Amino acid sequence: MSETRTGPAFEGAATTTAGRPLIRVRGVTRVYDQEGVPVPALRGVDLDVVEGEFTSLAGPSGCGKTTLLNIIGALDRPTAGTVEVAGHDLSRLSKGEAAAFRLENVGFIFQAYNLVPVLTAYENAEFTLLLRGVPAAERRRIVVPLLERLGLADLMDRRPHQLSGGQQQRVAIARALATGPRIILADEPTANLDSASSETLLEHMLELNRDLGTTFLFSSHDDDVLGRVRRIVYMRDGRVDHEEHAVAVT
Amino acid sequence: MLWRMAWRNLWRHRARTLTMLSAVALSYALMLVAFGINDDGHARMLREAATAAGGDVLVHGQDYWATRASDIVVRDADAVAATVARVEGVRAAVPRVIVNGLAGTAADNRPVLLQGVRPELETELRDIAEDLTAGTFLTGSERSPLVLGSRLVARLEAELGARIVLTGTTPDGEVTRALFHLTGILETGTRELDEVAAYTTLEAAQRAFGMAGAVTQIGIVAEPGVEAEDLAARVRAALAAAGAGRGLEVLSWREAVPEMVALIEIDDALGYIFLAVIYAIVLFSITNTFLMAVKERVRELGLLGALGMPGRRIGRLLLHETVLLTALAMAVGLAIGYTGHRIIANVGIDVASMGIEEMEMSGVDLGEMVMYSTIVPARWIIGSVVIAVATVASAVYPAWRAARLEPAEAMRFYE
Repeated sequence: MSETRTGPAFEGAATTTAGRPLIRVRGVTRVYDQEGVPVPALRGVDLDVVEGEFTSLAGPSGCGKTTLLNIIGALDRPTAGTVEVAGHDLSRLSKGEAAAFRLENVGFIFQAYNLVPVLTAYENAEFTLLLRGVPAAERRRIVVPLLERLGLADLMDRRPHQLSGGQQQRVAIARALATGPRIILADEPTANLDSASSETLLEHMLELNRDLGTTFLFSSHDDDVLGRVRRIVYMRDGRVDHEEHAVAVT
Repeated sequence: MLWRMAWRNLWRHRARTLTMLSAVALSYALMLVAFGINDDGHARMLREAATAAGGDVLVHGQDYWATRASDIVVRDADAVAATVARVEGVRAAVPRVIVNGLAGTAADNRPVLLQGVRPELETELRDIAEDLTAGTFLTGSERSPLVLGSRLVARLEAELGARIVLTGTTPDGEVTRALFHLTGILETGTRELDEVAAYTTLEAAQRAFGMAGAVTQIGIVAEPGVEAEDLAARVRAALAAAGAGRGLEVLSWREAVPEMVALIEIDDALGYIFLAVIYAIVLFSITNTFLMAVKERVRELGLLGALGMPGRRIGRLLLHETVLLTALAMAVGLAIGYTGHRIIANVGIDVASMGIEEMEMSGVDLGEMVMYSTIVPARWIIGSVVIAVATVASAVYPAWRAARLEPAEAMRFYE
């Protein structure tokens, strides 16, 4: 079921449902085994996300948002169904291939920031480039402008524990963007931030979506965040319940 | 990157790292010090064993050493000694007459082990005169001088200058008696030796026991660094070439006192077992600590996987941490161990102060009752390599566990 709503001027990249989706999820179920008891987290999800979309998954806790993001990010495997991302059938990937897929195609932003505690902001941001074997000079050429753009120019040498939550999350965005991924998956990226930091973060995400055309798929409970998103996919009990597509009012 | 992360990870939990580091460092230092003391003790035992046997290589009449029969002698001793003395690696050829007999005075009769020696040649092997507590060691003008162990002198109730009758068997099987005068008293430090030791000049012994021109043993002292087995082979060849080999046996000291060789090997093995047990405990604690570290950092390690770091590289991160910890611990351990070695090598450990009166093994007096330390580089190097490999290996299982973490599950951990 699809609905439309009106909202403020949307700054994200113009999206289209035409063409082959970048993310294509069909009939995905995921059942966890908890001490012998099967616990279904997803019960047959279908979802398409087109390149350049800025889409949020919404719904109550336990509805399957994180599980779906993990499966799309090749962090987890579906029990049944197919997931195709950027032309890769994720169900066919080995563990090593899944790691390579993530490195090449996906940037992750997590609720708990998840920066590597022993690395500085700069080192965290360049981490995925390092994993890809990018030379130091090239890493610097990419990472420094990113951090500057995210307002972290003066904080590059700080360790995560020396940064605020908002600053850490911006470092996480820089890390996610450094390799130029086609998709950024974010699990409740603003959940641990105050409203001002949350707003700033959202601005950055929208700006990057608009300027770089990066596809964002993230989960959120935050009404302020959801109010700025073009497409919201509502989930309930492990299924897609309905979607909302916003119409901008200028 | 892995090295940098590994180094910083080590110091995230300073107390834990220092605990592991000190465990490795101290056990490594303990091993080095134990090696030093063992090796010095063994070297001393080898020297003492060769001395007690009578030389690095011994020449006797065939089967003398096994039977100690008085009729088995080296005839034409001067010619044999001259042949032996010309062999490369021989520092001295020391002839001896050895007689098991009885020493008698008016007070008592006691068994003795009489050695007729040339004092000036004996000093090549050992300075017996160092053990004198009274009199001289066969240097006077007395024609039949006798130097006895202190306990034997006490039993015989003799004093310097006393007349002592020695009874023994000649090579012809005749029991004979000869009169000697007590000219010196020895205290060797070994109770048993002081009960039976008796020395006279070679000539006096030959004269008294019908051994003109013959000796019981020619002890060969090797040049420094010459292996006894090699020298024994050369001596056999030289005697054979000179036509004097028939009827003679040539034994290296290892062949002469195999029980001492076995004792050193057993001592070595026990030392290794002791160290292995200690180190196994250390390794177990290291493995356990690293497993705990993996468990504590499971979310973080899962994150690395989620970001695209291959599992084997995550495992290697842990191994890098262990390598750094091991290198650091071994550097500290080496410093402690070497300092300990230097102190013990210079000052020594006074065993006597621990209530041990004599240090004797297999009848061999180990001399001074102070333990010292000697570095045998090969043992230190091999021991160090074993410690390094074993310590790093202790982290293989935790690293393997880390490498197999599923990112999504790992990151759900503790949520």
